[in-house]
Order: sequence, then C-alpha cells, then structure tokens
Amino acid sequence: MLQRFGIRIAFMTRSLKDSVLQKDSTRRYLVTQLETTASRLSSEPSVSNMEELKKATREGRVDLEYRPLYLDAQATTPLDPRVLDALMPYLISLYGNPHSRTHAYGWESEAATETARKQVANIIGADPKEIVFTSGATESNNIAVKGVARFYREKKRHLITTQTEHKCVLDSCRALENEGFDITYLPIQKSGLINLKDLEAAIRPDTVLVSIMTVNNEIGIKQPISEIGRICRAKKVFFHTDAAQAVGKIPLDVNEMNIDLMSISGHKIYGPKGIGALYIRRRPRVRVEPLQSGGGQERGMRSGTVPTPLVVGLGAACHVAHKEMSYDHARLEHISRRLVDKIMAELPDVIRNGDPEHSYPGCVNLSFAYVEGESLLMALKDVALSSGSACTSASLEPSYVLRAIGADEDLAHSSIRFGFGRYTTEEEVDYTAEKCIQHVKRLREMSPLWEMIQEGIDIKSIQWTQH
Amino acid sequence: MNFISHLQKRNIVASNLNGPLQHGEYEWQDPKSEEEVVNVVFVTKDGKRIPVRGKIGDNVLYLAHRYGIEMEGACEASLACTTCHVYVQNEYFDKLPAAEESEEDLLDMAPFLKENSRLGCQIILTKELDGIELRLPTATRNFYVDGHVPQPH
Repeated sequence: MLQRFGIRIAFMTRSLKDSVLQKDSTRRYLVTQLETTASRLSSEPSVSNMEELKKATREGRVDLEYRPLYLDAQATTPLDPRVLDALMPYLISLYGNPHSRTHAYGWESEAATETARKQVANIIGADPKEIVFTSGATESNNIAVKGVARFYREKKRHLITTQTEHKCVLDSCRALENEGFDITYLPIQKSGLINLKDLEAAIRPDTVLVSIMTVNNEIGIKQPISEIGRICRAKKVFFHTDAAQAVGKIPLDVNEMNIDLMSISGHKIYGPKGIGALYIRRRPRVRVEPLQSGGGQERGMRSGTVPTPLVVGLGAACHVAHKEMSYDHARLEHISRRLVDKIMAELPDVIRNGDPEHSYPGCVNLSFAYVEGESLLMALKDVALSSGSACTSASLEPSYVLRAIGADEDLAHSSIRFGFGRYTTEEEVDYTAEKCIQHVKRLREMSPLWEMIQEGIDIKSIQWTQH
Repeated sequence: MNFISHLQKRNIVASNLNGPLQHGEYEWQDPKSEEEVVNVVFVTKDGKRIPVRGKIGDNVLYLAHRYGIEMEGACEASLACTTCHVYVQNEYFDKLPAAEESEEDLLDMAPFLKENSRLGCQIILTKELDGIELRLPTATRNFYVDGHVPQPH
C-alpha cells in the first residue's frame, strides 16, 4: 500500500516538476524533498521517512516564514481547502470527458458537472438549465454584452452601461460601437451609485441591454440592483449584471431582482481560477449569438469541453459560500469597521471613496491626502495591497472609477484598496492599520504639501506651473 | 390516446403527436377543395423560390419532403434535432402558436439563429398562414461540408 502511495507521489512530483517555474526556489526545494521521499517510500517503505516529509512542510522551512499578509481579496482569493478536496478526484482518477456519452468515465464526469451546475444555480436562485459554464467572468461578460447585442441587432441598436464597469464590459461596448451600435455610459454620483432617473431617461425604444455591475471591484459600492431590474423589466429591456464580486457574498436572487443575465467568477469566491459561469434567463427567453463556435456544448452558447475539475471546484465554492454567507458577511463587517475606525481615529484627511452605507464591507478604498499612493504601497511591503489608481497599470492616469466619483487627481493618486476575505484575521487587520498609520505619518512629515496645509495655505489656490 | 397523452405529460413522447402517429402520409394527399389550400413559398439557401400548394393541417416538414425541398428532418418531427430550422417571414411570425419550451431549448442549439426562427416540424398549416414565406438557413447542425444532401426517409 505504501509502495503504491510512493508511486503516486512519484507520478505527482514528476508532473509537478514539469509544470514548476524554474526561478521559484521554494517550489524546487519542495519538489526535490517530495521526490527523495517518494523514491525512499517506493524502494523501502518505512515509517522513519516521516521525518523527511515533515521537513518538506512549512514548519521546517525558514525562508517560508515571512510572506506578506494578503489583503487584496478583490484581485483574487485563495482556494478554500474544501473546494480543493472536492476537485482533486477529478484531476487524478475521474478524468473522463463529460460529453462522452458511451462509458462510465463520461457519465461520472457528467454527473459531477450537473451537480456543480445545481450548486451554482442555487446560490443565485436560478434553474440549473440556465447556467452556462465559461472560462471566467470576462468571457461571461463578453458573451452577455456582445452576444445579446448581435443577436437582436436588426431591430435594436442601443446599449446602456455605467462609467465604472469592469474593463471587459467597457471594451466589449467599445467593440460594439465599432460595429455601429450606440452606447450610453451613465455617469455616477459622488456616492458611487447611479441615478435611477438618469437610467430611466436613457432607455430608448431601441435599447436592447442594460449592463450594471452589482458590486464594484475598486470601491466596493453596491448598486440598487432590484430597482434597476424593475425598471428594465417594465421597459422590456434585458438586464445584465456583472456579479463577479457579489456572488456568494451578498444574497442574490435573479427572479426577485429581475436579472436576465449574470456573470459569475470562480476565483473571487475561493474557487479555482480559469472558470466562471453565465446565467441566461429562459423565461422569458434571452438569446445570445455565441462567441465560440463548435459542437454546441452548453446550450450552443459556449462550445468546448466543460472542464470538470474546475467546474466541480466552482460548484463546491458556491456551495460553501451559500452556507457561510451570513457568517462571513457579519465577520467582514466587523473587521472592516475596525480598520476604518482605527485609521480614521489616528489620521486626519483620510477620505473613503464610495458611500459606506451602500458598500460591500469586504472592499474599502481609502484616499490618504498629501501622500503618494505608490510610496505608501511600497512602504507597506509586508501587506499585499492594491492601489485604487492605475499607477500599477501601464498608464499613468488615475483610475477611471475614482475619476467617475469625482475624486480630485491628487486624491485619486493616493488611494489604497483594502480587500478582506474569509481568511483575514483581526490581527492582520490591526497590524495593517498600525503600519498604515505609521507610514502615512512618516510620509506626511516628508511631504511639502502637508507642510503647506499645516501653515494654513489653501492648496487649491496655488497656481502650479505647467510643464 | 390516453396512453400517448400520459407519455406526453411525462415528456417521453413529443407533444405534437396529438392524433394517430403520422409519417407524412397526410401531406401526400392533394387538397380536396380551394378552401383547404394554403400556399407556401419555400426559399432555399441559394435563394431559389419554390411555391407549394399545401392544405390545412399539413406539417411543413413533410410538405417540404413531398416536394423535394432540402429540409432534413433527421428526427422525423419528434423534437429532438434542429435540422428543420426555418426563418418565418416576419408578418406571419406572430400568427404561429408560441413555441413550447422544448422547441425553444432546441432552437438555442440551432446555428444561425435569428429572431424569427422556428422549427419546421412544429408548424402546422392553417388558413391564416396562406402566402407564408419560409426561408431555409445556409446550414443546419449537420453541416455537410462535402456537399452531401441527405434524402428523406
């Protein structure tokens, strides 16, 4: 039995080795350790090899001790161990193609896929037949926006979205503009919410789709989805929402909220990366022109073999999230308030971007006036954070979301996004708050703008020279 | 009849079989009088217009088979394929009864779907549909890239 175990580890390490990055010394170490262990186990099965195994784990390693704290839950989330347990068998032994109709490998994979479909449907109150698996929320958004627009192109030529949507929605709209569609990009108010009257006024007789995200990934604002859905249903316009940051975190029901299309992402809800889903309503039927042609899998809307391990992972992630939603939400509210209160108590001139009343607590975007965002991120090097501005992206322009809520340029450059998740502890939050306060104070000491403020000069009255 | 309707309720047998099981024999009979006649124009994928004299109660798929029109009908009108996919002229689209869910589900899988698409085997001719134009799509699910044309069976 141990011999078989050893052979299995040997097989795993060989494939691990093939897929490992050459530069990653941590993984190389781990792999060599597992390999020596595997060869020892397969040649001489003996319990003394437990020492070798233990050395390969975290306790024995010195350079693994200091990894930064992870506070960037909007970028991605770690895989929940229960999800890993659910999907491992489908990576190792249950490897059939779910579309193989003729043998047990296919049947068991198909059964797993259908179970996962039901789990995803349950968390949003949909029917399993209305779920289409895709490679992620980006692909789901593309299918929803481009697919619906192109299908109904003969009679309808107008789409409505907001200025704070995710890049994939905005880019799809831009591509449609090239094809001759009209797009209205709704502005948002200072609070981050859209004005419902603006939306009603923007809907034309030839509007086919309204696309508004449920929870914004940069400032965490929750849009009034039920009201938007009601308006769209009354005007007979399809309503699509990018719920990548919202599924499994806030309660959603596609029937109560009159949602016709919804994009779901796996790796934002403690599931695997590379998988997502698209909810497409069947009553009344929403039709899309498929982007990916092929054998007609997934109701003809997304051809291609459905990746069973990833899909099972997504289903398990949704199942776990469904059970733990209220607990997680309460806990996140507590630690989110803890961080904000701590920072606001110690530091003046800290602005929260987005109305806290209508925000998801797991995403807090703070602007620290008179401090440069990049320098603060560099200073907080043992906390993994993200900047709200696009300094971290290629252009030097600040984030379009912050510009849309009316943040001044200087504030947009000084914003930091704190993302809390299921595994964020109170100690991590306390540590982050302390370090943040300490470094902001330090950076403000060095800041000439801060000096001027202390002396009472009004910064806005200064004429900076153009260069 | 009770047995068939029972099987229909359980979705084992197609719902359009509301009578003795037909395989196109009815469509081979000519219309008995002018009141029964329903004129249909089939437009093939090459654009050729073929006017056809059908009668009330004809199934469009079997009517097409009678007159040699290239509508495949692989599953013989049992709502299991999409090879009889046609585009219905817009003015007549609303005169057809609403599609059932199983037909809508199949239409989702049909290639080159448009807003006015229907399955030909679900269209039963009535006098209201006189003069209807049915256009065939450029290809069906069984797209024969080698030019093969399957014969009706």
